[in-house]
Amino acid sequence: MISFRDHLRILDANEDLLTVTEHVHWDEETAAVAVEALKHDCKGLRFTSTSGEVDLASGIYAGHAQISSRTHQPWRRLKKALDREGDDYVQLLEAVSRRNTRAPDHIVLEEPAATIKSSSNPASLGLPTVEPNGRQLITLGLIAVEHEGMTSWAPVRGAIHRRSQLRLSVPQPFIEWCGDNRQASISLGIAAAPLVTALQGWTLDRTTSAVPKLAAALGETAVVDIDGRTVPADAEVRLDGSIIDVNDGVSGPVAVWERGCETVGVTVEVEAIATREDPVVPFIPLGAPLTDDLHLTALVEAAELYRRINGYWGVSPVSWIRLPVEGRLGICLVSSEILYSGFEWQLANVLFSFSDFFDKVLILDEHTEPDDLARALDDMWVKAHPSNDWIFSDPNAPAASIPRYRRDGQTGSRLYINATWDPQWDEEYIAPRVTFQNSYPEDVRELSLEKWSDLNLEEKSDD
Amino acid sequence: MTVDSLRDYLQTLDEKNDLIEVKDRISWNLEASALTMLANERDHGIPLFEDVDGRRLVGDPYRGSQRRPWDRIAQGIDLPQDISRQEFYRETISRLQNPREPVTISPEDAPCKEVTRVETDVDLLEFPWPYIHAGDGGRYSNLHTLIVSDPDSAWIDWSYHRAMIHDNETASVLLLAGEQTPNLFYYKYEREDEPMPVAIAVGTEPAVQYTSVMWIPTGRSEAAFAGGLKGSPIELVPCETNDLLVPATAELIIEGEIVPNIRRDEGPFGDYFGYMHGPRRSMPTLRVTGITHRKRPIIPFCVEGTGVGYTENSTSSMEVGCVGPDATLGLQAGGFDIDQCVPWSSTPRGVYVISTGNTDPGYLHELANFIFTTWGMLHVDFFVFVDADIDPFDQREVLEALVLHADPDSDFHQFGVETMPKVPLNIYQTPSEKGNVQTGTSKAKTAKAYIDATRSDDDFVTGTLDDDLQNWARSVLEDAGANPDMLPFTDSAQRGGSR
Repeated sequence: MISFRDHLRILDANEDLLTVTEHVHWDEETAAVAVEALKHDCKGLRFTSTSGEVDLASGIYAGHAQISSRTHQPWRRLKKALDREGDDYVQLLEAVSRRNTRAPDHIVLEEPAATIKSSSNPASLGLPTVEPNGRQLITLGLIAVEHEGMTSWAPVRGAIHRRSQLRLSVPQPFIEWCGDNRQASISLGIAAAPLVTALQGWTLDRTTSAVPKLAAALGETAVVDIDGRTVPADAEVRLDGSIIDVNDGVSGPVAVWERGCETVGVTVEVEAIATREDPVVPFIPLGAPLTDDLHLTALVEAAELYRRINGYWGVSPVSWIRLPVEGRLGICLVSSEILYSGFEWQLANVLFSFSDFFDKVLILDEHTEPDDLARALDDMWVKAHPSNDWIFSDPNAPAASIPRYRRDGQTGSRLYINATWDPQWDEEYIAPRVTFQNSYPEDVRELSLEKWSDLNLEEKSDD
Repeated sequence: MTVDSLRDYLQTLDEKNDLIEVKDRISWNLEASALTMLANERDHGIPLFEDVDGRRLVGDPYRGSQRRPWDRIAQGIDLPQDISRQEFYRETISRLQNPREPVTISPEDAPCKEVTRVETDVDLLEFPWPYIHAGDGGRYSNLHTLIVSDPDSAWIDWSYHRAMIHDNETASVLLLAGEQTPNLFYYKYEREDEPMPVAIAVGTEPAVQYTSVMWIPTGRSEAAFAGGLKGSPIELVPCETNDLLVPATAELIIEGEIVPNIRRDEGPFGDYFGYMHGPRRSMPTLRVTGITHRKRPIIPFCVEGTGVGYTENSTSSMEVGCVGPDATLGLQAGGFDIDQCVPWSSTPRGVYVISTGNTDPGYLHELANFIFTTWGMLHVDFFVFVDADIDPFDQREVLEALVLHADPDSDFHQFGVETMPKVPLNIYQTPSEKGNVQTGTSKAKTAKAYIDATRSDDDFVTGTLDDDLQNWARSVLEDAGANPDMLPFTDSAQRGGSR
């Protein structure tokens, strides 16, 4: 398992982490720097001087926009954090979509890395704000609650209120599952596997409380018992307390997972705070492009759609599915065999049925590469017939949750773009792509590569 | 220092260690193209082939780098290589607003007259025209300036239409009605059964090449705009076999006439949208009457089809670096309150993004209407409108705007269903829809669309910072070791600003 702290260390060793030693206050300033780093494809960030008790980090599970370079893989840091560096995108998708679990006795029990400190004032941590004099935010963490001898974890987003209270948004099914149990722990600075599986457990149509088991299977998560609750053992910060109120919602910028499920607001009275030595807490400048929550949710949603659709018709026509983080999950790309004429309509509409996030689908041929976003979008512009292949539904579809329009719930149209070859076309109509492989015979390719090698040119680095 | 010739430009690249001199013998038959494709894909320097069966070729000389497609274009008009896109747009537009009339020099002083062959002495096949993709219909000259005159006025049109070499004195030229030069041929010369005198200037100075791809208004002097871009007058010299004036520093001039009512095969060809375009079709015939050239001419060519996705080539970079500023100026001169017009850089010539402060729906409709009815628009199928605070060159920002703000219900506007003209250079029409009509455009019509990806009043915005905070944050990142090339400052004077 790669803990959050190990992951930071690995990013640093791979020169994929910028350490900001300059004083950058947690009050608005860290978020501003984090936004710019994300927008401009910078490395992950660690802030070492922020006036709070914890160091802050940002972009740790995020990645660069692929649309700006062929070598960028937006899921690169996430893949590394899940210890699946050798996987290609489809292998990563399959690993997450399998939803394997491991029995509890396989879960390693350890002492918690974080120890209780004397103060129980969470504001002393110095978590970031996003607006002047705003509240300190919790943007990337888990809540753990025990119910009938079993613990589950769910994603949280919220803020510190008053001296010792947290107001947190959590998935509604999770709170329903908790019943009357009110003791809770909120863990910050944890590994990727618990974050991914908490989203799988509680934000999708099919919920499951077996999140720690899912996490153990995906990333061998180390856990420890705290007052009967199983919590990630390596959390940088843990806030233990009680849920004292459940109500409608929590104000402020939302995490993207909240747009995919029903949520409720809970108030947690913090009774104890445990921290590791020199704790580091990752945060998300919510609302900015390319944030960690976009990456985590994109992977979980794409994996779920991939699993459901490839089992839906008794065959598996779909090569891959992506909800590009560059498009904030508001468009879905699917690469698929077109089984028969009109299949593309079924494919687009089953995707619309299975996800609330998007109202635009781009259908690509089955051999399209998942890590060539620019070419995929090119096909949208040049391969789809502007008259016949941009298909709008009647205007009675429910509004998707990501777009900014029709937030009042008004119905409207959906759009899918069919950028696949028409299965009824004669083979001779199909235009081959201009590529090194297609455009030159083997002897010319070999000669050219040999001459290129003889030129002794340095390989260019993209970063 | 002005850049007076292709050779000057290549020298500039060489001084920056940006020219790859290939001294080994290379064949024009796919080999030069294959090596150029590797250089394009790998974002390396510009390959100059010194021995192509004893002649010289240069592959995609105006290709920009993948992150900054305008950077070599800028060097061709003596602008700094590291100029920001915003500054490049401002400077280019400013120069286009100050055209300079050309001057005519005597043939004795014209480098392009170092060697002269006319009539029976001409031999097109003396030169190493490249065979670019396996499957192409033939060898091409495809990075040049086609020069013609309007028979009814003094207007001289410069354009960029490829020519497929057939034998030592004929070629077929891709002329698609709807563009300026093809219109002159089909609807003026050919209707009068008259040959159209032409000159093809190969390996011109950069400003000439750039101007020939721009949308210069009908009737205006393209040579003067080229002079404006260059910052000094273009030197012209008379042809040997017709009355046209040609750029004196060009590497090679093909003089001739496009003859009426005679067609020769053209294509298939690996085209700018990244696919082999077919089928073979009939196009007007060029009969060569003279060839003049420098000694050891350098013939530039473009590996079409590689300038899509992440890879650049001369066509795609000139689209960003030349057509973008020119279209911005043209639309502003047309009275439209637009900020910038920028090609979607991974899909050259198919999609343009326009940022504008005026997002009134009726205004956007009028703007789209204006654009789609201008010449050259038979290639373009989509325009995307974004707010003025979106960088239209940043495809992530544009994609995000398209996803978040373009409502399928109300923001995708097609101009009818199959009502608009289209060039056959596409892959979504069948061969029968493309047809093989006399004037080149597709037999079937298409739809074109504009997408309103601007924010509506009730669209909420998150994640934006004011300029001061942005600049300060970028300074913090730069101080921490972030690559400064990745951090564009809103105003360079504010770099290092404080909180």
